[in-house]
Amino acid sequence: MIVRPRKDDHLVIGKYTGKVIVGVGLLMVIPLLVSLGFGEWDTAIDFVISISACLVFGFGTQLFCRTEKDMNWSHGLVVAAGAWIWATALGALPHYLSGHAGSYLDTLFDVMSGYTTTGLYLLQDLDHVANGLNMWRHLLTYAGGQGIVVVALTFLFKGTAGAYKVYVGEGKDERLMPNVIQTARAIWLVSLTWLGVGTVALTATGIWLGQGPVRAFFHAMWVFMGAWSTGGFAPQSYNTLWFHSLTYEVICIVIMIAGSFNFALHWAMWSGDRKEIRKNVETISMFVTLTLTTMIATFWLAKANVYPDAMSLFRKVFYQIVSGHTTTGFSTVYARAFVTQWGTIGMVVTTIAMAIGASACSTGGGIKGIRMGIMSKAFLQDIRRMISPESALIAQKFHHIRDVWLDDGLVRSALTISIAYVTLYAVGTVIGVLYGYPIAEAAFEMVSAASNTGLSAGVTAPSMPDLLKITYFFGMWLGRLEFMSVFALFGYAWSIVRGK
Amino acid sequence: MRRLATIAAAVALIASVSVAVPAWASDAPLPPNKPDSTELINKMNVPGDVTKGLFWNGKTVTFHGEAIGEVMVRGDYAWIHLNDDAYMIKNVEEGAKLGGYNSGMAVWIPSAQTKTIDTYGDYQHEGSIVEIEGVFNGACKEHGGDMDIHATSLKVLREGHVVADPTPPWKAILAVVLAVAAGALYWAERKYRHIVAPNRGV
Repeated sequence: MIVRPRKDDHLVIGKYTGKVIVGVGLLMVIPLLVSLGFGEWDTAIDFVISISACLVFGFGTQLFCRTEKDMNWSHGLVVAAGAWIWATALGALPHYLSGHAGSYLDTLFDVMSGYTTTGLYLLQDLDHVANGLNMWRHLLTYAGGQGIVVVALTFLFKGTAGAYKVYVGEGKDERLMPNVIQTARAIWLVSLTWLGVGTVALTATGIWLGQGPVRAFFHAMWVFMGAWSTGGFAPQSYNTLWFHSLTYEVICIVIMIAGSFNFALHWAMWSGDRKEIRKNVETISMFVTLTLTTMIATFWLAKANVYPDAMSLFRKVFYQIVSGHTTTGFSTVYARAFVTQWGTIGMVVTTIAMAIGASACSTGGGIKGIRMGIMSKAFLQDIRRMISPESALIAQKFHHIRDVWLDDGLVRSALTISIAYVTLYAVGTVIGVLYGYPIAEAAFEMVSAASNTGLSAGVTAPSMPDLLKITYFFGMWLGRLEFMSVFALFGYAWSIVRGK
Repeated sequence: MRRLATIAAAVALIASVSVAVPAWASDAPLPPNKPDSTELINKMNVPGDVTKGLFWNGKTVTFHGEAIGEVMVRGDYAWIHLNDDAYMIKNVEEGAKLGGYNSGMAVWIPSAQTKTIDTYGDYQHEGSIVEIEGVFNGACKEHGGDMDIHATSLKVLREGHVVADPTPPWKAILAVVLAVAAGALYWAERKYRHIVAPNRGV
């Protein structure tokens, strides 16, 4: 029997959703200040409207949903998924008011893409967009990378036991510290330290490359945010091709890979356990799959004679594949060049790299390295079982912060989520094909959306069919929250309608 | 009195013409690039066969577009980016209709030649429209496989200008109304937060 939620349930969900949205509103103060600093008055007014709308929603729901009840697991999941939808709807206001979006659907698409650290966008005339709006685009992806609920947990939740439930609902389950709010703050400590170092490195490089100091600083900060959050937004339509620099690309690669690591791995390194990076199943898994996909793409593009020499070939292939595998979405080739230069094999290899994706509890998306590692270990365990005597007890373990024995529950869980991802990729691809796109392009684009990567082969465009925009929108959302929270939200909605 | 009115009318006519002509001139369309950036990126010798290379690769092209962003000087040469998209003449802030993504080409050019470009396009500026002639590289050997044009000459077709983006009154009114509403709700939430619904357990 489906139980209809009671008033208490609505109150607790409303209260905590309101807190998250207040957090989104407060975050908009940063782009407001940037707009004021650059004298972008119209954009500044757009942010005042948007901040006020968030606060009206946030304080309004907290006023009308006053309760002392704490969250249970289903509340946490519903708050996480629901807050993302409200945060998207209200976070899209600056985009819409800027006049650079074709429709509100396009703005929702862009903001969901930002929060989910995907990087696909439908904003038009990006090269004439205000600095304030660019700040917001990149801040969305930076905050989304840590998790917008983590933002709220860090600053707005006070000692609630239910906080852990909403944190898990956002696709993160590592406890770096005994207390979840301390964990959220630890995530921010790691991220802000990297932000400082990365921005300084990219600013210095930008000035050396011929940028003015102010542009170099803002471009550096935004590119860092795009790379660290594995988001892939960039301030110019040329993406990171804009800089024409091997040095800039190398720094971006370091940040993209760092951003794709599990926060637990970062915390272990932070705490002095340097060996963890060599032993962790996720880094090993990523090393193997990154090497394989790079080798195959390099071999194919060398055979196709696309690039003039070995250095250019490796530079282009490694950058795009790292970008795809870490689910960042930065590129130093034009979107259509994937079709016209890389061809079907190059696109398929990039699609596989994107589908596998980054580490769990990171800013990245995709099936994730830990699941690839678990499934590979389980496969090897089964082979060992087959060739061993029947009486032999075959045990397998893997290392992720600590040694973990492989059991059927873990394997089933990894397989279930992996199958869910593959199904999502397949459904979106079929919809793309039904709209007439070639299968390689349709698969590339859907995997890019659902793995929260953001590389594009040119399918994503303001003129694409609305249903395809909606498909990618849901793909980004489901992929980022790893299904469960979204299913819980749908279940909650269903129980309101059909529950007893 | 009649003479005064005639003079005033003449002055108004001259003023309106002097304002209208530059506005008309700056909005006048330019002939499209042949090839344009989309064709440079997409066109193949044999459709779908990547092994045949790009059709325009190694050929000399004449290309014009809005200088966007900035010039990045690297010694004797510099990078500029020219957009030949729907916003080349007029951008969204000036009332251009939305026309899809930006599109353009990276250009590698002797840095001395870029000094004639007075404005680069961004939110507050519409960049100068520049015509260059040079060799198109589908994957440039000198620049790590980047797609670019190595230009040998540059001509400014139209100078750039500052773009105003005035705020419509309805936005200012909406901002004030929402800000006041947010303040009122904040006050009410603080005042009544201790009055909560009875906790009936999980």
